[in-house]
Amino acid sequence: MTRRKLSLAAAVVTAAALTLTACSGGEAPAADSSKISVMAPFLEAQPPSADGAVQKKLEELTGKDVNITWTPNASYEDKMNITLASSEIPQVMVVQSKSPGFVKNAEAGAFWDLTDKLDEYPNLKTTFPDVEKNASVNGKVYGVFRARNPIRAAVMFRQDWLDKLGLKAPETTEDLYNVARAFTEQDPDGNGQNDTWGITIPKWGALGSNSPYDIIEEWYGAGNRWTEKDGKLIPSFETEEFLEANRFVKKMVDEKLINPDFATFDGTKWNEPFFNGKGGIIVDVDSRVSVLINLFKQANPNDFQNKVGFVGNLKGPDGVLHSHPTDGYSGFLAVPKTSVRTEAELKNVLEFLNTMNGKDVATLLNNGIEGVNFTVEDGKAATIKPETPEGKAVTTDIKSYAQLGTNVTGNNFYPVKQASDYEQEVFDKRVEVMAEDLKSAVYNPAAAFVSPTYVAKGAQLDNIVADARIKYLAGQIDEQGLKDAIKLWKTSGGDKVQEEINKLWQDSK
Amino acid sequence: MTTSTVDVKTPEQAPPPAPAPGRRRRFAVHFAHYKWLYLLLLPGVVYFAVFRYAPMYGVSIAFKDYVPFLGVNASPWVGFQHFQDFFSNPDFGRLLGNTLILAFLNLGIAFPLTIVLALLLNEVRLSILKRTVQTLVYIPHFLSWTIVASLSFLLFALDFGPLFLFINSVLGTDIDFLSDPAWFRPLIVLQEIWKNTGWGTIIFLAALATVDQDQYEAAIIDGAGRFRRVWHITLPGIRSTIIVMLILAIGQMLNTGFEQIYLMTNALNRDVADVFDTYVYFVGITQGAYSYSTAVGLFKSLVGIVLIFGTNALAKRFNQSGLF
Repeated sequence: MTRRKLSLAAAVVTAAALTLTACSGGEAPAADSSKISVMAPFLEAQPPSADGAVQKKLEELTGKDVNITWTPNASYEDKMNITLASSEIPQVMVVQSKSPGFVKNAEAGAFWDLTDKLDEYPNLKTTFPDVEKNASVNGKVYGVFRARNPIRAAVMFRQDWLDKLGLKAPETTEDLYNVARAFTEQDPDGNGQNDTWGITIPKWGALGSNSPYDIIEEWYGAGNRWTEKDGKLIPSFETEEFLEANRFVKKMVDEKLINPDFATFDGTKWNEPFFNGKGGIIVDVDSRVSVLINLFKQANPNDFQNKVGFVGNLKGPDGVLHSHPTDGYSGFLAVPKTSVRTEAELKNVLEFLNTMNGKDVATLLNNGIEGVNFTVEDGKAATIKPETPEGKAVTTDIKSYAQLGTNVTGNNFYPVKQASDYEQEVFDKRVEVMAEDLKSAVYNPAAAFVSPTYVAKGAQLDNIVADARIKYLAGQIDEQGLKDAIKLWKTSGGDKVQEEINKLWQDSK
Repeated sequence: MTTSTVDVKTPEQAPPPAPAPGRRRRFAVHFAHYKWLYLLLLPGVVYFAVFRYAPMYGVSIAFKDYVPFLGVNASPWVGFQHFQDFFSNPDFGRLLGNTLILAFLNLGIAFPLTIVLALLLNEVRLSILKRTVQTLVYIPHFLSWTIVASLSFLLFALDFGPLFLFINSVLGTDIDFLSDPAWFRPLIVLQEIWKNTGWGTIIFLAALATVDQDQYEAAIIDGAGRFRRVWHITLPGIRSTIIVMLILAIGQMLNTGFEQIYLMTNALNRDVADVFDTYVYFVGITQGAYSYSTAVGLFKSLVGIVLIFGTNALAKRFNQSGLF
């Protein structure tokens, strides 16, 4: 009895001691060129299994033993910083954005500078050099960016309401106002009650986050986060157009054309009022069109066509189309120096990434396995019907594996064939509209620049203006209050940010 | 009988046999005597050492410019830089004000209400009614803040929340409880009362059970009414419990509850909603300013310690039993 208790106590102490020493770790073993470790986020409920069909195929195509650490998307940034401080660092890390944490680590030398290294690899030498610059830290490329379609902004509306009221799809911001007003006042759902509003906007206020406010400001000509004026870069909220755009939105708020709880409405419920016939317009990325159509399809598979209409960017009051683009990327794949120590090892990793962006692997990561979950029909990937459990597993898994796709030379995989002719038609129209809008895209001229002051307190500074914008729209402060907030942004450090950004901009010319 | 008891105890209580009672030796004997108690203590000590004290090493990043890649050891020391930045930051006054106001509102309203509720429950004579009410007021404590916040959003939602509509019809004006800064603090205190008052009564009800029943009988004979009895017997009877609970509450005062406030914050009420806890999250986690937010958190803890020792000293000064 006694002995047993003592040994139990001893075990507890030993375990505690082990926990304490585990953190200090040892030397990383010499790299084995046939093995690659990767850290990536997953956005599905479950990460792909380590012995799934996609994983096996990936190892077969790349000829490497690929070890992927899947991390939940919600806590990815925290986990990334913790991983960097540990001794178990992967050779390739998905970095989701140029967050202050990443910039600090990169400037302390945590990642390889790939600026002059990518050109040697045909699949990594990007065909979008501007986007690569946007993804860089002041011109230094710390990773292979994950390309995204830059033009995604769209106006979605209830097509059935529009038809009922005999209106045309909006082309200008003024049309948007008129449609929103008609949706609010003319009883578009025909229930005899005044219970609809025009536009639904969720609690989404941060500056430069591609929110509906950002998009409308850009349509008005305020620029995309930063804009050039008299040979200097200024934040877009210092322009007259910014104020005009917000006067326009405020007018719609005051006339109750926008949901009254826009400051508190939860963004995850954005589709609900649209689907339930409460709010008729959403300004967001065009991929929401498919999501909305699917909602109607699930509710009634026989009658879901012509419920959702959409157009791309709208012309502002100056009659010019200023399309709102994103920076064209969604984070990048970076190579930490702690786990990849020599140029030779780096070469091995870059070769692996080069293979990953080749046609075979890109198809695997984005479409899946031909014959298992898709077949190629007129150049498009069509889902196999009837679906097998195996095929379904692959379809689910590739949603996570697609996180590793970089597509820096364009999409090397098949476009997805839509489920019905109607959906295919809508999809094709989306592609067409976005391509057309791309011609008038107004990019953020400061996307590539990272100012030290901004890294230190940029988010706090931006909050001043972002909150003031919402307060102004809600009627808590007047226009003077909004202007005061912009002044406060300048005096609390914004002037310094602006100075640093301009210096970086001048130096890069 | 008596002698045998003494006989049994003798071997253990016998003084150290050896003549040299060195300090170490005395301890060895003491230890040998109480070894099983020490063994019982061990898991607790290990727990605190590993999970409470070892992580304190990380607090050192408050005095460093911490970069995760460099690690805690290699990051350069910056001294009190982060503290200076914080105190000279325009946010500081606002954060301190918001935190203190919310803390005092909770302490001034929610804390006394707990005692009042306990006294009321104690006066309920019908046992089954008392137990039912008690159980009902405990339940909200088990709901998470996320649920409390969601309920508030539903009840007070603009244009369709039942409470919003009710108050609207009574007062004839629209009140946007969820985003009007003037309603933020009342809402937070109301939520706190709804969620935790019932649960807080447990300890006071236990204290109330120890109050001498004879005194009540004597008071009734002397003609004391119900309020007199509560004022002169019940309250003095639980005074020491109230003071200990107050000291504990004051120590936790600056922990205004991250979850609750974070969930209720929006762009319109942020000016009155930002407190130390939400600020640490915003600056530390979302912006990666780990050192700075650690400094803020450390400052908050220091204030908490000062408050605990201060109230304890005050309580002792007024001849009340303190916490330690």
